[in-house]
Amino acid sequence: MFGKKRKKQCSDPVVQQLITMVGESEVLYLKEELIAYECDGYTMSKGMPRAVVFVNNTEQVSEVVKLLNKEKVPFIARGAGTGLSGGATPFGGEVIISLVRMKKMLHLDLENRKAVIEPGYVNLKLTQSISDKGYYYAPDPSSQYACTVGGNVAENAGGAHCLKYGVTTNHILGLEIVLPTGEIVEIGDDGIPDHPGYDLLGLLTGSEGTLGIVTKITVKVLKNPEDKKTVLAYYDDINDASQSVSDIISTGIIPAALEMMDSIAIEGVESAAYPVGHPSDIAAFLLIEVDGISAGIDDQINEILTVCKNNNVRKVKVAKDEAERGLWWANRKTGFGAMGTISPDYLVQDGVIPRTRLPEVLGEIAEISIKYKLRIANIFHAGDGNLHPLILFDASIPGQSERASKAGSECLKVCADVGGSITGEHGVGIEKSAEMRFIFSEEEVAAQTNIRAVFNPENLLNPGKLFPQPGRCVEVKKEPEKVEV
Amino acid sequence: MSMGGDKLVHSVNNVKTGAPCDTKSLGNFLWEDLPDEKKWEDCVHCGLCLEACPTYQETGEEQHSPRGRVHLVKAVAEGKLDVNEAFSKPIFDCLDCRACETACPADVQVGGLIEEARGQIRQAMPLTGFAGVLSKTALKGFFPYQKRMNTLGGLMRFYQKSGIQSAVRKTGLLNVMPTHLKDMEAILPKVDKPILGRYPEIVPAVGAPKQRVGMLTGCVMDVMFSDVNEATVRVLTHNGFEVGLPTQQGCCGALHIHAGDRETGKKLAKQNMEAFKDYDKVLVNAAGCGCALQEYDELFRNDPEMLPLAKEFSAKVEDVSKFLYDNDFKRPKAEIKTKITYHDACHLAHGQGVRFEPRQLLKEIPGVEMVDLPDADRCCGSAGIYNLTHPEMAGALLERKMDDVPDNVEMISMGNPGCMLQIAMGVEKYGRSEKVVHTVQLLDWAYEKEKKEAVDLMKSK
Repeated sequence: MFGKKRKKQCSDPVVQQLITMVGESEVLYLKEELIAYECDGYTMSKGMPRAVVFVNNTEQVSEVVKLLNKEKVPFIARGAGTGLSGGATPFGGEVIISLVRMKKMLHLDLENRKAVIEPGYVNLKLTQSISDKGYYYAPDPSSQYACTVGGNVAENAGGAHCLKYGVTTNHILGLEIVLPTGEIVEIGDDGIPDHPGYDLLGLLTGSEGTLGIVTKITVKVLKNPEDKKTVLAYYDDINDASQSVSDIISTGIIPAALEMMDSIAIEGVESAAYPVGHPSDIAAFLLIEVDGISAGIDDQINEILTVCKNNNVRKVKVAKDEAERGLWWANRKTGFGAMGTISPDYLVQDGVIPRTRLPEVLGEIAEISIKYKLRIANIFHAGDGNLHPLILFDASIPGQSERASKAGSECLKVCADVGGSITGEHGVGIEKSAEMRFIFSEEEVAAQTNIRAVFNPENLLNPGKLFPQPGRCVEVKKEPEKVEV
Repeated sequence: MSMGGDKLVHSVNNVKTGAPCDTKSLGNFLWEDLPDEKKWEDCVHCGLCLEACPTYQETGEEQHSPRGRVHLVKAVAEGKLDVNEAFSKPIFDCLDCRACETACPADVQVGGLIEEARGQIRQAMPLTGFAGVLSKTALKGFFPYQKRMNTLGGLMRFYQKSGIQSAVRKTGLLNVMPTHLKDMEAILPKVDKPILGRYPEIVPAVGAPKQRVGMLTGCVMDVMFSDVNEATVRVLTHNGFEVGLPTQQGCCGALHIHAGDRETGKKLAKQNMEAFKDYDKVLVNAAGCGCALQEYDELFRNDPEMLPLAKEFSAKVEDVSKFLYDNDFKRPKAEIKTKITYHDACHLAHGQGVRFEPRQLLKEIPGVEMVDLPDADRCCGSAGIYNLTHPEMAGALLERKMDDVPDNVEMISMGNPGCMLQIAMGVEKYGRSEKVVHTVQLLDWAYEKEKKEAVDLMKSK
């Protein structure tokens, strides 16, 4: 697209072979280009790839993978690079296979409520492309403006509305995959429930790019709900907000979304691009949405308002129109990026806890904040107990990155200790591989790496991600490595 | 890792032996007017800007995304990259359209940062080749000089009126020009004399004056679209404003700042600040110029003496459509029966946050039916002189823009001369029939029709 040819030839034989295979314009190899790929949305770990190759179809992916196998060069599949656990970040020397140019919709079958798309299709564009026909794609991670569905499959991405609708794995009907050895296989049977044999779709979804490269995805699309209503509730005490969450679920209502933000998170979003005008002195707010057929929505809203009032809510209101509802959601969904306005860097954690333990866990996170002298903002999918503590730090101050990393790890330990998990939707990647030991024994890790070996026998595809390296343990977790370029 | 090829390394060494500023440096940024660290500190690498960026949409390449570009600039400041050709490319391939700034949750000022980085690049590596010639002749030789621009306009009028244009078109002489220049020649608007100098320095209001306002006539606007300037003056005076056209005003400097020539940009800025010093309000009908004027404070951020003056000046600048709407413009009574769509100029929508007001001006003209343009605020590819320096990318964006224009509209309205030229080129190239108009022109036509109808009514009585 940018006509000018690069003046420099590349002497790397692997790069030369890639260029021969896919063309000069489809391969990046200059340091000034590659440095843009040294990390994804998780910036605490960086490494320079050997090259970036853009693929345009399944056959090309297969050819490139076969070449890299022959040359024994490790490789990583990458979508938009908005992941938050370093799943698409190189350790150094990997070839990145970028799938962003594979972004076509191949087939739309609204009668059977499914669509077949290429992996580079952007999440929000999927909904936008079918919304005029009254349909949408449910999983809505906050990065949906930019992230690809291929990346969503790799990370089993969630989103604000997964409380009612489930995460990515609940919306995948079939996959075409290039195995780490180059063979092309199709799994799933386009929506036949309970297909005989192993649930390979379930295994592949969320495998963080370690079992295969997704080249085609059949997704479920849903009919737009007939009606939806959204409530915003301000609290002076975070325990009251937490109790409201449990009480709402106890009524039997399943809200489409049930989100919480604490005061530091509110400070961030209010100084960023989509301020709503939340009071600066509240302890937390809840953003609650119910959707479905029109009849009954108002009853549910009334019941929710009653629960909020019974829990000492300071103020509670229902969005008066779509514009107001849209602003509330924009404010919430840009929450992570908004932290840039109050802190140069942040580390987002992704713990899951039983809902009833919320007040206790928030108390412990507050203590971790004091212990490490770092502010921690909390944005979370309260309805399904998925916490996102955002540890605010400044990487340019020596020692702060290390402290943030340790504080993050302790937050996850708290979650694991109350019977929860270290990740709900962001994946393990580089970031949390050591913390896998909080929830899995050596034997359980080994059982899983044995499964990986069946698909990825030489461990060339996304090596070093998801599982702890043997012998590496949390206590010696060092300053994130920085590969010199 | 080894990249081979000694050519680049060599040029980098040359760069470093150049003349760095003696005061201070920032990593490998060694020259005057250093980039602003604060701008990349705000970026947390979330990537929400990616899909807003036209060059990322087209290429999918991270270094051609806002996040990638910010990362590259930061890498130079951290000493990880040098200021060289390979760094320069993604920085100069940016359209400077600011769509990323609308998308960014943390309000990172990507546009300003890119312009600052370009300032460093141009000091490190002065331009050569076609770009160098273009920069020297057009940016340095013409735009800053009102008289030369007028002479150029005069030559174009001569070209059009003398019959040379039709001769050139008939003889196929155009075929020796690069395609994108040929496309551009095809749509040259009928050039009239600029209003600056032709109009009095103060144009009185119609009726009792409500307020006196200054108006930037612009260089491209006044030379290529003096009819838009005429319409703007008529609309403002009709609304009771006395319009000042100080003759010492000049080019806004946007094209120079976008090209990394911040020195010329600053000279022009000072000239304009002086020219409008007696005005409380400076109105602009060219989005690119308005945005540049509103960002003079950004231009002088490293100049403590000029900064307060620049801040004061920038606060006075407003787009004419927003000013009219906010000041309760006279609702036209005559009917203009037309179907129209509105294209958001990047520097109006993303640069100044003006989206609602121009649409509203159009909607309130009786008979005007507005049809939505999908992705109305995606760059049309004009981007100052980007369509001359990057014809391939600009052409791809123009094609997408024309694809989006609804089939059944008669006019495409906008608020920037660069977009007007580019979209007119699209209309010509894709064999379409829409008329390309400035928002204020439509309002002017409605007022003029209203006046004429009033006169006719008087006569008939």
